[in-house]
Amino acid sequence: MAETAQESSAQLTSRHDPRYEVTLYRHVGVQDSHTLDYYLGHDGYESARKALTGMTPSEVVDEVKASGLRGRGGAGFPTGVKWSFMPPPDGRQRFILCNADESEPGSFKDRYILEDDPHQLIEGMIIAGYAIEATRGVIYVRGEYMTGYERLHEAIQQARDRGFLGKGLFGTDFDFDVILHRGAGAYICGEETALMNSFEGLRANPRLKPPFPAQSGIYGLPTTINNVTSLTSAVHIIAKGSAWFASMGTEDSRGTKLYQISGPVRRPGVYELPMATTFRELIFDHAGGPTMRAKAFIPGGSSSPMFPFQNEYLDAPMEYGTLARLGSMLGTGGVIVIPEEKCMVTAIYNVVRFYAHESCGKCTPCREGVATWLPKMYQKLLAGMGTKEDLVLIEEMSQRLQGTAFCVLADACAMPVEASFKHFRHEYQYLVDHGERMYKKSDWWQE
Amino acid sequence: MKVRINDVELELAPGTSAIDAVFAAGHDVPYFCSETYMSPIGACRMCLAKVGAPRQDRSTGEWILDEETGEPKVFYFPNLMATCTTTVMEGMVIDTLSEEVKDAQNSMVEFTLINHPLDCPVCDKGGACELQDRAYEYGTGLSRFPFDKRHQEKHHALSELITLDRERCIHCKRCVRYFEEVPGDEVLDFIERGGHTYIGTADEDLPSNFTGNITDICPVGALLDTTSRFRGRNWEYHHTRTTSLDDSSGTPIVVDARTGHIERIKAGLHPDINKRWIDDGIRFGHEYANADDRIQSPMIRKDGELTQATWDEAMAFIATKINGLAGKEVGLAIRADATLEEGVAVLALAEHLQTGQVDHYPRPNASVIPPETPATFDDLARADAIFVLADVTEELPAADLRIKDALKGVVPPELMEHGVPIADLRLKERMARKRDILTVGAPFITDLMSHSGKSVLYQPGSEADLLEALVAVAAGESLTSDTDHLGLDQSELQLLVTQLIEAQKPVIVCGGLVLANDAAVAAAKTLAKTVDARLMLIGPMANSFGLERIGLFPSHDKYDYEAMISGGAKALILSGLDPAQAPAVATKLEDLDLLVVHDLFLTETARKAHVVLPARTGYGKEGTVMNLEGRLLPVRSAPIENNHAEDFTGLVRHFGEASGVRLEGRSTRSARRVLRKKFDVDLNDLNDQGVLGEAGTESSRQDSSKVNRGQKGNAFLTKAMVRTEYLDKNPSLRASNGGVLLRINPAEANAWGLHDSDVVSVMVGKLRRLVTIQSSELIPEGFMHVPSLPDQPAGLVQVDLGTIQIQRSALETV
Repeated sequence: MAETAQESSAQLTSRHDPRYEVTLYRHVGVQDSHTLDYYLGHDGYESARKALTGMTPSEVVDEVKASGLRGRGGAGFPTGVKWSFMPPPDGRQRFILCNADESEPGSFKDRYILEDDPHQLIEGMIIAGYAIEATRGVIYVRGEYMTGYERLHEAIQQARDRGFLGKGLFGTDFDFDVILHRGAGAYICGEETALMNSFEGLRANPRLKPPFPAQSGIYGLPTTINNVTSLTSAVHIIAKGSAWFASMGTEDSRGTKLYQISGPVRRPGVYELPMATTFRELIFDHAGGPTMRAKAFIPGGSSSPMFPFQNEYLDAPMEYGTLARLGSMLGTGGVIVIPEEKCMVTAIYNVVRFYAHESCGKCTPCREGVATWLPKMYQKLLAGMGTKEDLVLIEEMSQRLQGTAFCVLADACAMPVEASFKHFRHEYQYLVDHGERMYKKSDWWQE
Repeated sequence: MKVRINDVELELAPGTSAIDAVFAAGHDVPYFCSETYMSPIGACRMCLAKVGAPRQDRSTGEWILDEETGEPKVFYFPNLMATCTTTVMEGMVIDTLSEEVKDAQNSMVEFTLINHPLDCPVCDKGGACELQDRAYEYGTGLSRFPFDKRHQEKHHALSELITLDRERCIHCKRCVRYFEEVPGDEVLDFIERGGHTYIGTADEDLPSNFTGNITDICPVGALLDTTSRFRGRNWEYHHTRTTSLDDSSGTPIVVDARTGHIERIKAGLHPDINKRWIDDGIRFGHEYANADDRIQSPMIRKDGELTQATWDEAMAFIATKINGLAGKEVGLAIRADATLEEGVAVLALAEHLQTGQVDHYPRPNASVIPPETPATFDDLARADAIFVLADVTEELPAADLRIKDALKGVVPPELMEHGVPIADLRLKERMARKRDILTVGAPFITDLMSHSGKSVLYQPGSEADLLEALVAVAAGESLTSDTDHLGLDQSELQLLVTQLIEAQKPVIVCGGLVLANDAAVAAAKTLAKTVDARLMLIGPMANSFGLERIGLFPSHDKYDYEAMISGGAKALILSGLDPAQAPAVATKLEDLDLLVVHDLFLTETARKAHVVLPARTGYGKEGTVMNLEGRLLPVRSAPIENNHAEDFTGLVRHFGEASGVRLEGRSTRSARRVLRKKFDVDLNDLNDQGVLGEAGTESSRQDSSKVNRGQKGNAFLTKAMVRTEYLDKNPSLRASNGGVLLRINPAEANAWGLHDSDVVSVMVGKLRRLVTIQSSELIPEGFMHVPSLPDQPAGLVQVDLGTIQIQRSALETV
C-alpha cells in the first residue's frame, strides 16, 4: 500500500467552489432550528410558496428534471423523471411518500434533517406533492429515530396550525396534508414496496414490480416515493433555480450531496459537499484523516463493495459513473473507514450478520442463503474451523446470491462479501491456514 | 405473440406468463411457489431462466437490429428472471437449458434443502412430493451444508383437521396466499422473519370452511390431513376419481383407499366446477364409511329380534310379504343423493309393484330445475351482478368460492396445452374485490355477507314477500304493502333490480329457505325471467336435480314421502331415510305390514324394520349424478370393503332374482340402457369432465299444487357443509365442529339458562334431536338455527325449548 495513500490532498476543490454553499444542512446543529418560528425566520416555506403560486405542477417537474437531481436514497434514479411517471390525475387519491426509513449501516444523513430541520422536509413534501398533484403525503420514519419522529410530529402540527398544511395552501386551491408513520425497525422497510406494505399494515415483504409505485403504490393508488434528501434538495432547486444546482458536480451527478463518514477518523459526521468531491477530500480534509492506519473503506453504505485504502480509489470522485466503473456504487454516500488492525473477516461477518437479521424471508436465496447459511459459514471460519473448501463455497455463494433473489437485499449482502474476497483474500486464507485471525480481536473501549 | 423457448417457437396469447410458455413448449422448469388458480409471486426463485427480448427504438419505433445477422437483436435481462412473474413479449427468447440457468437451479435446490429435514422415509408426502421430485431433477444430489438444520415444531395442530410440520415448510406461501385469495378468510400468515419465518395462526384453529385445500397445494409434507396422517404411503393408495355426493355441486374428488379402507379424500380438478378446491365437509367427512357399526349384512326380524340373514333370505321374505299386498299399498322412497341408476332401479321396482307411491326425499314441493337454462358455476364466476338468497358457504360451498372469483373480476383462465395455466398473471395478492356486485340475503348473518356489497337481513319467512316485491319493482309496479320486514326499503329494492337488469350476466342463487317456500320459488323464477338472469336453485342433495329429471316422484301429491310415512302405505321400502326420528311417525311405522330399510347404520327406523339391508356409501357405488347445473357426472367405486352392502340397483337385482323377474335397473349397466334413452348420452363413456345438458333440462314435473308461503317457526333449518346425519360417525369433523350446533341468540340462551357446549335433546319441529348449544350474535333475537337433516330439510320449524333435556351440561365437563 502506497505511503501517500495515508495523506491528504493538495487542495480542496469544494471549498474553492464559489457556487457551493451549505443548503440542506444549513440549520443542522442550531439551537431550536426545528421550530416553525426559526424556520420562517430563515426564508422558510418560501420555495413552496414560489412553486405553488408561481409555477404549474409540470413546471416544477421540469425544473427538477433540468436540475439533474438524482434520488439520494442510493439507487440514484433521476427524481424529476420519477415524478413524471405519475399517470394523469383520474380522481383517485395520489400519494407522495417520503422514505425516511434510513437504516443502511453507515448512513445517517436523514436523521439530522428529521431532528433539526423537519420543516425543510415538510416543505419538500409540499413541493413534490404539488408537482405530482398529490394531496396526501406520507412520511415513513424509521422506528429508531424517536427524536426525529417527535420533532416531525410537532412540526407537522405547527405547520397545520399555521396553514402550511391543510386546505388551500398559500392562497391557492391546492390542498395538502401529511401522514406521519413510524416504522418498527426493519431494514427491509427501506425497500420502497416493502415500505408500502408496512405502511398499509401488512407484512414488510417487497412487492412484485411491475406494477411500479406510480401505477400501484399505497393501497394500489398512484404513489411517488422519494428519499428525504431528494425532497429537501427540491426545496433549494426551486429557491435557487435548476441552473445553480446543475452547475455543480459532473455530467451525470449534479448538485450537492450529504456525505457521511464514520470509522476511525478525526471528525466523523455528515458533510454537505458538491457531487464528485473525492474520497481523499472527504476523509482527510473534512473528516481530518484516519486516526489509525486504514486498510479499506466502504464508499456508500454497507452494501456497497469496499475499496482498498489506495490512491487509485481515494482520488476517485464520489459520483455515480466513476464508482460504478470501479465496481462499486455511490449508494447513500455513507463512507466507512476500516482500520488496518481490524480483522476483515470479522468486519464482513458483522455486515453479513446484519443482513441475515434483516432478511424478510420471502424468497429462498435470501432466507436460506443470506439469513442462514452465510452467517453460519462465517461463524465456522471465525471459530477457526474453516477449510479451503469453505472459502470456495462462500465465494460461490456470494456470486449465486446476486441477481437471483426477489429484491436487492441478498445482493446487498453478497456484494461486500465478494469484494472482501477480491481485496482481502489473504486474511481469509490466513484464518483458514492458522485457525486464527490475522489481526487479533481488540477492544477499543478497553485500550 | 411469437416466443422462442429454447428451440421451440410458439404463438402465445398476450398476457401469458413465461413459465406457461415453457410448459406449453413441452419444456420443464421447476417451481414451488406458483400454483394454478393463485397469484404468482416469484418467491421460491426456482423457475429462473435466461430471458431476453428485442427492443424497439424509442424514437422511430423500429426494432433494433443485430448488426451481424440483420435480425432483431435480443437484449437479455441483466439477471435471470423468475419466469412465473414475467409476461411474454413479442419476440421473447426464453432459455431454460444453459449452464447459467442450471447453476442457478442447482443453487436454489441446495438453498431450499439446507433447512428441509431428511425425513422422507416417514413423510406422508413421500412419493408425491414436489420438492422430492424437483430435488432429483434439478439438484446436485449432495449437500454442502454441514450445520444443524433448523429445528421447529414437528406436530403442530393448526386445527383438529390439519397438522403442520414446521421443519418441512419451504415458505412457498401457497397456503397463506390461498386463504386470502380463494376463500378470503385470512386465517394463516407468516410469523417472524428471515430464517426464523414460520406459518401460524393468530388464534387457535383455522376458522374457514375450506382449510383442507392447503394440504393439497403444499408442495412438501408440511401441511397434512390429520385424518390420514401416517396411514399409508402415496404409492400404496388407489386413487379413484369420483364425484362427491355431499352436496348438489357435483364436486369432483379423488378417493384414496388402501387395504379396503378410505384413508383420505383429495380435491379433483374440474375447471368449470370447483377448479381444484373442495370444502372441509367433503374432504374430511369420509370417516363414517369406515365406521365399525356399519350394517354388515341383511337382517330379518325373527321373534322380535333382528337376526343376520343372506340377501336371498331377506328378499324371499320381502317377496312373500309384498305378494300379499296390493301394489299401490307399497311405498318406495330413496334419499336424494342416490345415483340416477338407483333412481331407475326404484322406478323399475315401483312399476313392477304397480305403485305410484314412489318418491325421493328431501324434495321441495316446487321443481328444483329452473325453467330456463340453469346457472352454471362458470356463470357465477363470470357474473357481474349476483343476488344470493341462501347461506351458500354452508349449503353449496363450491358456489361460495366461485362467487368470490367473480368478486375478483378475473374470468376463469383459458386452458393451455399443459392444462390450467401455472401462473395466471391477472391474479394478484390482496386484489381489490368488487363487492358491489354481490347482494346476499338471509334471515341471519351468513359468512358470505362479510364479502358482499349489500347484506339483506329479512324477517324470517319473508322470502316470498321479498322476491315478490322485487318482481313487482322489476315490472315497474308500485309496492302497496310495507317493506319493513324485507330488509330493503323501496329505493334499495329498486337499486338491486336496476343492478340486475343492467348487468350483462346476472345470476340469482336461491337456497333451501327459498325452496321450502313455494311462493318464493315461483317468484324467484319470475324474477330471473324478468331481469334476464340465470337462476341457480340449490337442491337439497347431490342428485335432487337428476332424480327429478328422471321422474322419480309420485304420480300424485297425496302419494308423496310424507304421506306414505304417515299412514299412506302398508309396506315401505326406504333407502337412506330415517323417518322414525319423529316420535309421531315412529309410532305410525309400527303399524306397517312391512318395513324394509336400506341404510348404512342401524337407524331409529332400521331398529323398527322387518328387514334391514346394508347399503353402500357414495364412495362404494358406480353410477351417475346430475348436479345443479344439469351436468351429468360419474360416481365411481373406490376399492373399499363393502361386505354384503349393495346399492339400490343391487337391491333390485336381488329382488328380481327372488321374484323371478328381470327388472330394468338391476345393474348399473341395465339402468344406463334406460338412461341412454333419456339423456342421449352413453353414461358408460362419461369422462371426468361430465356432460352439461345442452338446451337446458326442462322438468317433466309441474310445480306442486300445494302452495305454502313458508312455514311458521322460530328456528331456521339449512343444509350444513358437513353431513349432519353422519357427524357422529366422523370423529375428526365432529371434534372440529363441536357437534351438531343449535345456534341461538345469546339473549335467548340466557333466558333459558343454556350455556355454550351444553348437549341437549330437544324437539325441533317433529323430530327429537340431539344438539350442542352455541350462542351466536349472528342469529336474530328470538330465533335459532339448526342444520337440516335428510329427514328434516331446510325451512322454518318450531323449536320448543320447553322440551329440552340436558344430556351433558358444559359446566359438568369443566
